[in-house]
Amino acid sequence: MGVEEKGKVPLLPSGVPVGSKPHATDSTLFAQGRPKPLSLDESVAFIKNWFRAQSLNVMAYGTGCGSIELGPLGTSRFDMERFGITGGPTPRQSSVLIISGYLSVKTLKRVIRSYEQMPNPRWVVALGSCTINGGMYWDSYSTIKILDQYLPVDVYVNGCMPRPEALIAGFKDLMDMIKRGEANGYIEYQNNLDWYRANQRKVIKDWNLPEYSW
Amino acid sequence: MELLLQILWSSIGVLIAVAYGLLTGGIVRKLFARIQGRVGPPVYQGFIDLGKNFFVRDNISHGPMFYFGPALRTAGGVGIFLFIPAIVGWAPGENFSFAGDLLLVMYFMFFGSLGMALGGSAGGHPHTPIGAGRGLSQMTAFEVPFILAVIALVADTGSFSVHDLTLAQAGGFLEWNLLTHPFAAAAAFIAMLGMNGYAPFNVVGAPNEIPVGPMTEYQGGFIATLGTGRAIFAIAKMILFMDLFLGGATSILEAFIKVFVIYMWSVAVAAVFPRYRVDQSMRFFLGWPALIGVVAVLLALF
Amino acid sequence: MNEFVQEIQARFEVLWSNPQRPDLMQIGVRQVNALPLLTWLKSNTGYFILNHFSAVDWIEDGEFQLTYLLTDYAARRSLMVCVRIDRAAPTAESVHHLWPEAVTYEQEMFEMFGISFPGSPRQGVDLLLEGWEDIPPMRRDFDTAAFAEEAFGFRPGRTHTNPRDRVAIAFGQKGFLHDH
Ligand code: SF4
Repeated sequence: MGVEEKGKVPLLPSGVPVGSKPHATDSTLFAQGRPKPLSLDESVAFIKNWFRAQSLNVMAYGTGCGSIELGPLGTSRFDMERFGITGGPTPRQSSVLIISGYLSVKTLKRVIRSYEQMPNPRWVVALGSCTINGGMYWDSYSTIKILDQYLPVDVYVNGCMPRPEALIAGFKDLMDMIKRGEANGYIEYQNNLDWYRANQRKVIKDWNLPEYSW
Repeated sequence: MELLLQILWSSIGVLIAVAYGLLTGGIVRKLFARIQGRVGPPVYQGFIDLGKNFFVRDNISHGPMFYFGPALRTAGGVGIFLFIPAIVGWAPGENFSFAGDLLLVMYFMFFGSLGMALGGSAGGHPHTPIGAGRGLSQMTAFEVPFILAVIALVADTGSFSVHDLTLAQAGGFLEWNLLTHPFAAAAAFIAMLGMNGYAPFNVVGAPNEIPVGPMTEYQGGFIATLGTGRAIFAIAKMILFMDLFLGGATSILEAFIKVFVIYMWSVAVAAVFPRYRVDQSMRFFLGWPALIGVVAVLLALF
Repeated sequence: MNEFVQEIQARFEVLWSNPQRPDLMQIGVRQVNALPLLTWLKSNTGYFILNHFSAVDWIEDGEFQLTYLLTDYAARRSLMVCVRIDRAAPTAESVHHLWPEAVTYEQEMFEMFGISFPGSPRQGVDLLLEGWEDIPPMRRDFDTAAFAEEAFGFRPGRTHTNPRDRVAIAFGQKGFLHDH
C-alpha cells in the first residue's frame, strides 16, 4: 500500500485498488433470485440522485493548463448549461470539483481545503494525463502524479489537453454514475480519511491545515 | 372561519407564486441563452436546482443570525405577496389587503436585503460585507424614484391602499396609471430595473468578483430557501407593479400574463446592457429617474 | 554595440563580451564590479529596465552565473550582464533598491538555487515550494526524476516511446520500448 511500491497498484485499506470502479462480474450479469421492487429507501435515493445529477455546480477553480478548456464550456459553442451544469462561485455552493491538469503540491493544499469545504455529496472530475499518471510532468519535483491517492476521483477524462467535448462526455458519465448511485467517492473519502490524510501529509511537508476543513 | 379560509387561499397563492416565479426564472434563463446563441437549460431547471439544493447536506452554521438571512429574505417576499391583492374583486385572490398596506409593502422591500446583510455578515466572510454594502447603497438609490412615483399616485388618489389604487384604474386600459400618470410610471419602471437585480444593476452578487456577495457562505438548504424567497419576491413585486400601474387583474390568467409582461421589461433591458458599478448606478438613479419622479409628484399636486 | 562595450570597459573591467545578435550583447564582469556597473547603467544610460534576472548552474566550474538582462527600449537593444559567483557559498548583492521587481526574482532564486541576497525583502519566504526539505531543486546535482519517483509514486502501465526507439523499430532492430 502506498506510493513507495513501484509497479504495484496502490490499494485502499479495503483491499480494492485505488481508482477501480465496480464493474460487471458474473454475479452482476445474472439475476440473483426474483426481481424485487424498490424499497422506500432506494426510491428516495433514486429521486435524490436524479435531482443531484441534473443540477451540477462546477466550482470555479482551475489548477493547470486544462482550465483553459473550461471557459469555452459556458459559451454558445459547447453550452454546458443545457445539461443543467452551471458554475459554482464558492466551494460552499458547488458539487463538482474539476482538477484541470497538473497539480502542484502548493495547489494540492488549497484543493484539499476547498474539497473539504464543499458540502456532501460532492464529486471530483480529473482532467488530463497529468492527473492520471503525471503526463508530461512525470519527473517534476513539485507536481503530484497519481491524483486518486489524495482525493477520491469519480471520473477521469484523459487527453493532453482534453477537448471540451471530452469534458462534456465526462460530465455525462458522471451524471449517469450519480443516477446509478455509483459516484460515491466522497463516501470513500470519509471512510478512508486516515489513508488519504497519510498520503497528503507525505507530500505536503508543512502541513498546516485544520484536522478537517468544515 | 372566513379568516381561516383566507389563510388557506393565501397559502395556495404563495405556492402558486413560488412555482410561477421558478418557472419564470427558467424562462428567463432560457431567453438569455437563446439571445447568446446557446441552447440553454430546460425551463424547469429552477425546480431541479431547488430540489437538488434541498438534498445537499448543510454542514456549517455561523450562529442564529446566519439562519435569519434566508428566513428574512423569504419573509419579505411572502409579506409583500400577502399584503397586496393579487386578483382584485375575487375574495380568494384579495389576500390580506388593508387600508395602509402600501406603506407596509414599501417597508418589506427593504426587508429582504437587510436580512441578507445581517445574516450574510454573520458568516464572517470578507466578501459578504462588500456585497451587502453594495446592495444596500444601490437600494437606497433606487428607492428614491420609486417612492416619488408612489407618492404621486397616492397624492392623486388620496389613499394608501393598493386595493383602492387598483380600483381607481378600473374601466379599461385608458384608465391605467401607466397612461394617466406617465411620469410616475416611468420613474417606477426604471426603479424596477434596480429592484430586480438583473443587469445593468447586478453588481450586488457579482459572481465573478466577490463570489456571490452576501450569499458567499450559504449552501444547500439555505440556498434553496433563498431561491424560493427570490422567486416569490420577484412575483410579488411584479404583482405590486401590476396593481399600481396596469390596473390589477380580475382573473388568474390575466394576472399571469401581466406579471410576465412586466417581468420581461427588466429582462429585455438586462439582455443588452453590461453592468454598472455601484457609484454609477447610484448616480444614475439619483439623476433622471429621480427628476422624473419629482415631475410626477408636482403634476399630481398641482 | 561594440562602442558601448568600449565605454563600459573604460569604467569597469569587462572580462569577456559576446555579441549574440545585432541587438543583444553579452558581457561578463567580476562580482565586485557588478553592483557599480548596474547602478551606472541604470542611472546614466538607456538600459534602465530589468527585463529578466536569473541564474545558471555551472556545476563543472563550481560556480553560479547570475544573468541580468537589461533593455534599452528607446534604442531597442538589450544587454546581458553575466556575473559568476562561488557555488559553495552562493551570496550576491541584492539589486532590489534599483529595481523593486527584482525582489521576486531574488526570492525565487533563493528558493530554487539557494543563492542568498542579503538585505532583500522576502528572503526565505516560501514562493512556490512550501515546506521544501531537499536541496534546492534547480541545482543540477538534484535528481528530479528520482525525487519525483520517490515522492509522488508511479502509476504502472505507463510506457514511453522516444523517437530513437521508433526508428529502431522501423528498421527492424531490437527496440527499446521502456516499460518503466
Ligand atoms: S495533461 Fe497536458 S494539458 Fe493537461 S495539465 Fe497536463 S500538460 Fe497541461
